[in-house]
Amino acid sequence: MLHEITLNVNGELHIVPVKSHHTLLTVLREQLGITSPKRGCENGECGACTVLYDGKPVNSCMVLAVEAEGHVIETVESLAKNGELHPLQKSFIEHNAVQCGFCTPGMLMSAKGLLAENPHPTEEEIKHALAGNLCRCTGYVRIIDAIKDVADHS
Amino acid sequence: MHPFDYYKPKDFDEAFAMLTQPGKKVIPLAGSTDIIPMVRDERWLPDAVVDIKGLPGLRDIKLVDSGPLCCAGQTAQCLYIGAAARMNEIAHSELVQQYASVLAQAAQEVGHEQVRNRATLGGNMGTASPAGDTLSALLVLEADVLVKGKDEERCIPALKFFLGPRKTALQPGEIILGVQVPPLPEGTLGRYLRISRRKGADLAIVGLSVMAIPAEGGYQWRIGLGAVAPTPIRVPEAETILATGHDEATVEKAIQATLAAARPIDDIRATAAYRREMVVQLTRRALQDIIAQIP
Repeated sequence: MLHEITLNVNGELHIVPVKSHHTLLTVLREQLGITSPKRGCENGECGACTVLYDGKPVNSCMVLAVEAEGHVIETVESLAKNGELHPLQKSFIEHNAVQCGFCTPGMLMSAKGLLAENPHPTEEEIKHALAGNLCRCTGYVRIIDAIKDVADHS
Repeated sequence: MHPFDYYKPKDFDEAFAMLTQPGKKVIPLAGSTDIIPMVRDERWLPDAVVDIKGLPGLRDIKLVDSGPLCCAGQTAQCLYIGAAARMNEIAHSELVQQYASVLAQAAQEVGHEQVRNRATLGGNMGTASPAGDTLSALLVLEADVLVKGKDEERCIPALKFFLGPRKTALQPGEIILGVQVPPLPEGTLGRYLRISRRKGADLAIVGLSVMAIPAEGGYQWRIGLGAVAPTPIRVPEAETILATGHDEATVEKAIQATLAAARPIDDIRATAAYRREMVVQLTRRALQDIIAQIP
């Protein structure tokens, strides 16, 4: 079944025909060309496809695209403003919190969601918020440090 | 992924009609976090899904008066939680924390942040995995489940709702509207604990809900277990033992009674033997936690 829907992604409205069974991840990547959400496990485990959905982190592989009509979707593409990187992006660079980079967009969106709700989280709260984001280069310490740095200096 | 159709009904009549299309396999959808992986793994092959989360009242968390169906005969107000309330909404709700602390704790343990922002209470109940975190909490809260079919609503005690792995008392076309938690006396204590292979993004190896309710001269106890039987279960034998007191020897007897009630299996997450050992550890920990809070 095909649905003609309007998706609000990164502040832009996209009118897009979507199939009932296609996930938000599939439509973002394959129909809108927004490729920062990564296709990892596609099972709600790895968090590589994390986007903000009405400001809250969700796995875009766990949402049907058709469900997302009327909701506000944000991906990493929305973070930099006027050529200036977001403080979280700068901090990830400064702390070398990136190795292969595959998990990074999801990490950034989970971190953004956390800081919006809790601007000064403890290290435990950061770990809890990132429990659904896996990094197989095992770089968690630097990622947590990068987020903590932003939280401490905001 | 196996293709299916998606419907979003505007009211309950339309939802019922969509859910009962002759010759079609149709599944109600709320949070999607069970349906999408199950369809992708081809364990569920629906012809269609019906998105019920926008139906009136399904996302409410509020206090309600006793009704003719659920919450019958209660003099104080009950806590109503709509079936499509998200796990994070439940975990963070002051009303749930106050009226059903054990359920708020259980909701906080489901999956991880991204899942808790999507997964719903009704979905956890409808999927009826024996490991579902919220289910043993509903059993110890003695919640009522309000369900709706074609025209009629009916109320099913949570204790009679879960019939087997992925089997509930729902009739074809019926959907869960929400649960109602009866009022509990001031000073009621609740604890949900679970063991899993990792702290986030995994199902419980054992889940345990415990409540201590002030009663004449002491406490009435309720113990619920998840992931150690085909359904979440209550442990009346241990509850009876604890009604006599909570000194160390009595607590040990209650732990043994809880262990005796568990009928775990070996699966990919743990062996039955490990689950039995964890029942002992979790029960001891939860009882000690609660006893430490008793004034």
